[in-house]
Amino acid sequence: MAAIDYIKPEYYTNRELSWLDFNMRILGEARDKKNPLFERIKFLSITASNLDEFFMIRVASLKDMVHAKYTKPDIAGLKPEAQLTLIQEKAHYLVQRQYSTYNRSLVPALKQNGLELVMAHEDLTASQREFLDQYFEENIYPVLTPMAMDSSRPFPLIRNKSLNIGALISKKGEKSKAEFATVQVPAVLPRVIELPAGEDGHRFGILLEEIIEANIDKLFLNYDVVCAHPYRIMRNADLTIDEDEAEDLLKEIQKQLKKRQWGEVIRLEIEDKMDEKLLKVLKKEFAVKADDIYPISGPLDLTFLMKMYGLEGFDHLKTPPYVPQPVPALSEEPDIFEAIKKKDILLHHPYMTFNPVVDFIRKAARDPQVLAIKQTLYRVSGHSPIVAALALAAENGKQVSVLVELKARFDEENNIIWAKMLEKAGCHVIYGLVGLKTHSKITLVVRREEDGIRRYVHLGTGNYNDSTAKLYTDCGIMTCSEAIGEDATAVFNMLSGYSEPKTWNRLALAPIWLRGKFLNLIRREADHAREGRPARIIAKMNSLCDQEIIAALYEASAAGVKIDLIVRGICCLRVGIPKISENISVRSIVGTFLEHSRIFYFQNGGEEELYMGSADWMPRNLDKRVEILFPVEDKEIQEEVRHILDIQLADTLKAHELTADNTYEKIDKRGKVLLCAQDYFCQEAVQRAKKPEDPKETRVFIPAEPVEEEIS
Amino acid sequence: MAVKLFSAIVIGSTETEMKVFELSQGRGMREIDCISTRLNLGVDAYSIGKLDVEKVEELCLVLKEFKTTMAGYKVDAYRVCATSALREIRSSLITRDYIEKQTGLNIEILSNSEQRFLDFKSIASESSSFETIIQSGTAVVDIGGNSMQISVFDNDRLITTQNIRMGKVSTREQYLPMARNNAHFEKLVLELMEHELNGFGRLYQKDRQIKNMIVVDRQLEELLKKRQKAPNSLLTISKEEFAGYYQQIVCLNPDEITERFEVSADTAPLLVPSVIFCRCLLDKMGADTIWFPEMSLGDGMCFEYAVKNKFIRTKHSFEEDIIAASRSIAKRYKSNQAHIKNMEEITLQIFDKMKKIHGLGQRERLLLQISVILHNCGKFISLTNVAECAYNIIMATDIIGLSLAERQIVANVVKFNTMDFSYYDKLALGSSISRKEYLVIAKLTAMVRVANALDRSHKQKFKNASIALRDGELIISVNSQEDLTLEKGTLEEKSEFFEEVFNVHPIIRQKKKM
Repeated sequence: MAAIDYIKPEYYTNRELSWLDFNMRILGEARDKKNPLFERIKFLSITASNLDEFFMIRVASLKDMVHAKYTKPDIAGLKPEAQLTLIQEKAHYLVQRQYSTYNRSLVPALKQNGLELVMAHEDLTASQREFLDQYFEENIYPVLTPMAMDSSRPFPLIRNKSLNIGALISKKGEKSKAEFATVQVPAVLPRVIELPAGEDGHRFGILLEEIIEANIDKLFLNYDVVCAHPYRIMRNADLTIDEDEAEDLLKEIQKQLKKRQWGEVIRLEIEDKMDEKLLKVLKKEFAVKADDIYPISGPLDLTFLMKMYGLEGFDHLKTPPYVPQPVPALSEEPDIFEAIKKKDILLHHPYMTFNPVVDFIRKAARDPQVLAIKQTLYRVSGHSPIVAALALAAENGKQVSVLVELKARFDEENNIIWAKMLEKAGCHVIYGLVGLKTHSKITLVVRREEDGIRRYVHLGTGNYNDSTAKLYTDCGIMTCSEAIGEDATAVFNMLSGYSEPKTWNRLALAPIWLRGKFLNLIRREADHAREGRPARIIAKMNSLCDQEIIAALYEASAAGVKIDLIVRGICCLRVGIPKISENISVRSIVGTFLEHSRIFYFQNGGEEELYMGSADWMPRNLDKRVEILFPVEDKEIQEEVRHILDIQLADTLKAHELTADNTYEKIDKRGKVLLCAQDYFCQEAVQRAKKPEDPKETRVFIPAEPVEEEIS
Repeated sequence: MAVKLFSAIVIGSTETEMKVFELSQGRGMREIDCISTRLNLGVDAYSIGKLDVEKVEELCLVLKEFKTTMAGYKVDAYRVCATSALREIRSSLITRDYIEKQTGLNIEILSNSEQRFLDFKSIASESSSFETIIQSGTAVVDIGGNSMQISVFDNDRLITTQNIRMGKVSTREQYLPMARNNAHFEKLVLELMEHELNGFGRLYQKDRQIKNMIVVDRQLEELLKKRQKAPNSLLTISKEEFAGYYQQIVCLNPDEITERFEVSADTAPLLVPSVIFCRCLLDKMGADTIWFPEMSLGDGMCFEYAVKNKFIRTKHSFEEDIIAASRSIAKRYKSNQAHIKNMEEITLQIFDKMKKIHGLGQRERLLLQISVILHNCGKFISLTNVAECAYNIIMATDIIGLSLAERQIVANVVKFNTMDFSYYDKLALGSSISRKEYLVIAKLTAMVRVANALDRSHKQKFKNASIALRDGELIISVNSQEDLTLEKGTLEEKSEFFEEVFNVHPIIRQKKKM
C-alpha cells in the first residue's frame, strides 16, 4: 500500500485565516443577544484590539516576507502575497461586521437602556453644548498640537495606532489652495466624555474626536477648514521579527531592514465619508494601497468600548462578577505544605482561586525550613504579590532564583522594572535564554524537613499573574513527588546555564524533547488503534498549527484513533477529509473567560495518560521556547481533569464546531442538554467549596455526544 | 539532626560539577542536586601545560556560584577536588592558590590513584549491584581525559589496578591531527590501545576470566542513557549492541554525531575515542556486558564521607583493596611473601602497643603496613642497592587510594629501613615533604627497622612473638628454640634509631619452654 501523504497543502488551513475566524467567533459573542449588553460591548472591544495586534504582528510579518521576495508557501500552500490578499478580504468583512454590530445592534440597545452615544455635535442640547465648550477650553485645547503641511513644513510624523483628525484648510479668502493639516486626538484624555445626564435620567456620552472635530476651526484661526475627518494608521513600526517565522526568513528580513523605509504603514483606517481630496493626501503620504485602506462607518478604534464597559451604574447589564472559590483540599488543611504532602492538589482557575499559588510562595518566603524558591515568570500583574513575596524571601535569606522572560510580547518594559526590583532585594535573576522564550510555568520550593530535603513544585498552564488568573481558564498542580522535584531542580539548573540532566523522570521540555514526546504519544495511539486496542486522544489547547503534529494526528485518525480537539484559536487542521481526518472533531469555546489551559489525554490502550503543560501545538512552542509538559499522575486528579475535558466536549452553548467545509458552526442543540462549560465549572466550584466531602455528588449527567458524524 | 547535607565539587578536565547529597541512616545517600557545567580545562592542560587565564576566571565564577548554591542548601560539609587538569599543569600550586583565594574554597588536587580510588567508591556507592558484580571477574575501566584506569576484581577482591596513559581528550588532541581521516584515526588508536592492552594482559589478566566490564565514561553514558528502554534500571549494554553503536559512530564527525544521536556538542568529539577504547577492551578481556554505573567522582566523595560519618555501612573493605593492590605490586617484584607476612604482624603489633607514644592514627597504620609489604621490592632490580631501587619503584607506581604525599611517605620509610636516615633539613631539600610528614616517616621507619631486624634471617623465628610496653622498654617476647643471635645483634644496631625517636628501648626476651 502506498503511503498516504499527510502533508498535502489542501489538508491544511492557513493560520491567519483561521485566526480571523477565531476573531469572528468572538464577534459572534458580541452579536449574541443572549449575552448581557455590556458583555457584548466588551467582546466587540476585544475583537478590535485583537485585530490591531494581528495587523501589527502577523500582517506586518507577511508584508516583510513580500518585501523580502520570500515566496515559500505556508502549510496550506499559500505564498505570502496570496495570504495577504485573502487576509485583506476577510479582514474587510470582519470590520464591516464589527461596525454593523456596533451601529445596528449595540448603539440602539444602549440607547434603549439609557445610555446614548451622541454621534454628532448637532444633536446636543444647549446645556450639553455649554458643558462641552467649557470642557474643550479647559481640558482639550491645551493639549492639542495641530500641524500643517506646506512647502516649508514636511508631512508630520503620525504615530502608530494614534487616532488623528485630518483636515483640509485654506487661508481665509484663498479658497482655491487647500493645505493638509492634522491633529492628534490626545491619548491622555478619556476617549468617551460623559455629558450631564438628561432630566429623565438618561445618560449621554460623546467621543473625544467628535468634540475636537466640532471645534476644529479654533485650531486653525486664520484658515477656513474645508473638511475634517478622523483617521488612524497602523505601522510596521516596531522592528521585532515575529518568532514564528523560519530562520532563513529572518536573515532575509534583516537584509531588507536597512533598505526599508522607516515604519511602513500597513493599514489606514478612515471615516467612510472622508473627503476624496483629503484621502488622496493621506494615501499619497502614507503610500498605502487601496486594499490597506479601511473606510469605517462609525468611530475608529473600538477599544474605547472597554472603558465604557467600566462605566458605573450598569451592573444589571453585565454578567455578575464571579468570585473564584476556595480549593476544597486546602480548606481542610490550611497549611499548604502539609496539604501537598498529603496529596497532590489540582487547581482549576478561575473557578478556583489563585490565592493558593500566591500563598505557596508567601508562606515559603517566611517559612524557616525553606531553603530556596525558584520560579519562572513570564507575565506578571502590575503590583504582583508574587514578586513581593519573592523579594521578601530573598530578604529572609532564602536562595531565590527567578527567571524573568523579557521577551514576553508587549510586556518587555514592565518586566524589566520588577526584575530590577527583585535583583535589588537579593534574588538571583536570570534574564531569559538567548534565542528562546521561557514560557514554562514552574515554581520550586526546597524545604529542609526533619527527615530530609523535600521539594514542593507547582506546575501550571498559565502565567503567574494574579489578575489574569481571574479571567483565563488554567490548570495547575501542586505536588511534592520526588521524581517531579528532581526534574524541577534540573529544569532550573538548565535555565541557569548548567548542563542538562542525563534523563528526565517525568517532565518533557521544549525545545529539545517535547516535540518528540508529543509525536510519540500520538503515534502510540495510532499503533494501539491498528492493533485493535482502545485508542483515543483528547487535546485542549489555544492553537494548533504545527505541521508535523497535524500530520501525526491525520495518520492516527486514519489508523482509527478517535480524536477530539478543543482548540480555542488558530487551528490549521481540517476535519472531515475522507480517509485523513474523518475521526477528528475540532471545537472552540469562546466564553466569558479566555480558555487557556492545555490538557492532553491519551487512552493508551486502556492505560490512560493525562498531561498538562504550557505549550500549544505550534512550531514556536515546540521549537523556540522553553516549555514544560507534566503528567497528571494522581488517580483522583486524573479523573478530575478528564471530567474537565468531558464537560468541555459536552458544551452546547459556547462551543463552535469546525465543519468539513472549514467553517465554525454553533452546536445543533436539538435533543441535547443545554450546557455552558464555563458556567458549569463556576457552579461546581461554588458547590464544592461548600461541601468538600464528596465532589462526585455535584456532578451532572453528561449528555451523550452525537452518534453520527455531521454530514456535509 | 539525623539528616546531613554534603556537597561534592569536582573540577574535572571536561566539566566542573557539584552534587549535593542528603545523608541519613535510613536512606543512605540521596542525590538532591547536580549542577554541572562544561568547562574544558583538559585541552590546554594536556597540550600546553597551563590553563588559559579566561578559563581560570570562568572556573572561579562557576565555583562562586556553587558556593552560593551550597549556602542556599545550608550544607553541613563539603569537599572540593580537582583532577588531572589542575594536576598536570606546571603551575598547579599557584593556580590552585589563586582559585582558593578567589573563591574561599579549599581545593584538593587528587593524585591519579586517589582519584581512581574515589571513582571506585562511587561505583561501590551503588552498593548492592557492585558487591554482587565483583564476585566474579570484573574489570573496572575508568576512562579519563588524560588516562584510563583499569582495575580487575575477582571474588570480591581487587586484583590489580593499572593506569594507561591514554585518555579521551589527550588521545584526540594528539592523534587526530596526525590522522588522514576518521577511519585512519580509528586505526591509529586501535593500534595504540592494542599495544597498551597486550602489556596489561600479559602482566595482570593472564588467564583470568573477565565476565563484566564496568565503564565509567560520561559521554558514553549520555549516548546510551538517551536510548535506554527502561530509564530507571541499571544502564547496561551487551557486546553485540555495543558493536552496533561502534559501527555507527566511529567514522562520524562530531557534528554528525550530535545530529544523529542527539548528544550535546561537547560530548560528541570525545565519543569516538571512548567507543574505540571500549571496543579494544571488550576484545581483549572478552567480557559479555558493559555496565555503566552512572556515577561520578562526586558520588565517591560523598560515599567516603558517609562511611566515615557512619551514615552508610559497607561490607566491602576499601582498605583491603589498597592492601591487595600493594600486595600485587610486591608479588610482581617477587618479594618474599613469608617474610613480609611475619614482618607485617610484628610491625603492626609494635604500632598498636606504641599508640600512646607515637600518637598516629589508622591511616598511618595502613601506610606502615604498605611500607612493610613493599619494603623488599627493590631486590627485584638489585641486591646491593635495594633501598634506592625500592624507593624508585614505589615512586613510579600508582598505589590505588594513596595520595602522592602518602606514597612519598611509604617510599621513604622503605628507603630508610636499610639506609641511613636523613634528618629534616636534608630530607626536605628538593622535595615536597612537610614537617608533619617527616615525623610520620621517622616514626614508621623506626618501627619497620625493629621489625625487620627481628626477621633478619627471613626464617620467621618471631612467628609467635608478643610485644608489650613496660617501663620505657618495648619487650618482645618470643617462644623459640632457635638461635636468635643474629636477630639480637641486628636489633641492637637498629634500635638506636627507635630509641632516638620514641625514647623507648626494644629488647628481646626468649623463652625456651618446650
